[in-house]
Amino acid sequence: MAATLKRMDVQRAAEDLRRRTLGGIPRALDRFIYLASTRDYNTGLYYHDGLASQFSADVACEALANCHRETFHELIAAPVKELVDQMQGYMASSQSRPQDFVAVWKGLEPYRVAVPVETDPFSAEFLFSNFKVALAIVEERLQKSPRSIQGA
Amino acid sequence: MIQLILFLALGVGLLVLLFFLARRTESRAEGGAQALVQARQALNSLQTGLLPAGLVERVFAQDDWGFVSSKAGAGVQRLFLRERKRIALSWVAQVRRQVLSLKDFHSGQSRFYARLDVRTEIGLALSFASLLILCRVLQATFYVRGPYAAPRMVGFAITAAAKVCTVFERSLAFLPRTPAEVLRPNSPGPHVAA
Repeated sequence: MAATLKRMDVQRAAEDLRRRTLGGIPRALDRFIYLASTRDYNTGLYYHDGLASQFSADVACEALANCHRETFHELIAAPVKELVDQMQGYMASSQSRPQDFVAVWKGLEPYRVAVPVETDPFSAEFLFSNFKVALAIVEERLQKSPRSIQGA
Repeated sequence: MIQLILFLALGVGLLVLLFFLARRTESRAEGGAQALVQARQALNSLQTGLLPAGLVERVFAQDDWGFVSSKAGAGVQRLFLRERKRIALSWVAQVRRQVLSLKDFHSGQSRFYARLDVRTEIGLALSFASLLILCRVLQATFYVRGPYAAPRMVGFAITAAAKVCTVFERSLAFLPRTPAEVLRPNSPGPHVAA
């Protein structure tokens, strides 16, 4: 009974999260990075102030984890073309210079720590591979016409 | 003389048989918990990580190559083909590994937990054999001709693997799907057949 009630709370919290916070983030890549950033590196638990006060920290954590998994699968299903567009959009919305962004993403591969816990290793490897290709395309475009990319 | 050769051949044959019988590891029901968990993990990995239609379609989708070949330079094209080939090889290797794990479990432990009729047993044995051969052929094809060389064979492999999974799903139905389910308060939990 308690488990069922908790599951319903998690669903309501996830709905709330999708409508309010995530509703304002149109690109899956941005949502993915944002959701990964709500997770504690040491404990692997997600935290969101608003959701935790409205529901409970436990429920908020599960709702965030569910949305993170959803976004991950959305990215897995995206063609390379879409990933390139998303990466350009994300890069343009970040405060860093495109050249620095590409260098950091190529060097540090920050997306590797952004996957949800218990992700199937093959799915993760596939997404990393697609990110690598998308980044190479973005870099190539940047070398050809830096201005068009910066304005994306 | 012919009789002596026949007796010698028979003796050698019996010795070989004894050797293989002695080498067979004894399967014990009480030592099978680890094997059960591994089988469940292999099944989960196949069903949720390696065989979902959406994921496999994406991996072998030609439109990605169409986009890269028309919009990117030669260097990126090479990178894409190298990456996709690596992913395709990794996919088929992992499918093969999980199928082998299920096969090992089946030949060593499953008789303690599931009673399969002879027809299902034979069907399963054939599925295992064909699937493992198919995986080897796919590996060779991807290696030599790249990730887009055998879309129909990939389809056959998925269908065969899904069949094997369905049989195992029935055999392992009493086990929770993930380790986390064991800890959930309302989970039925594992109740291994006596």
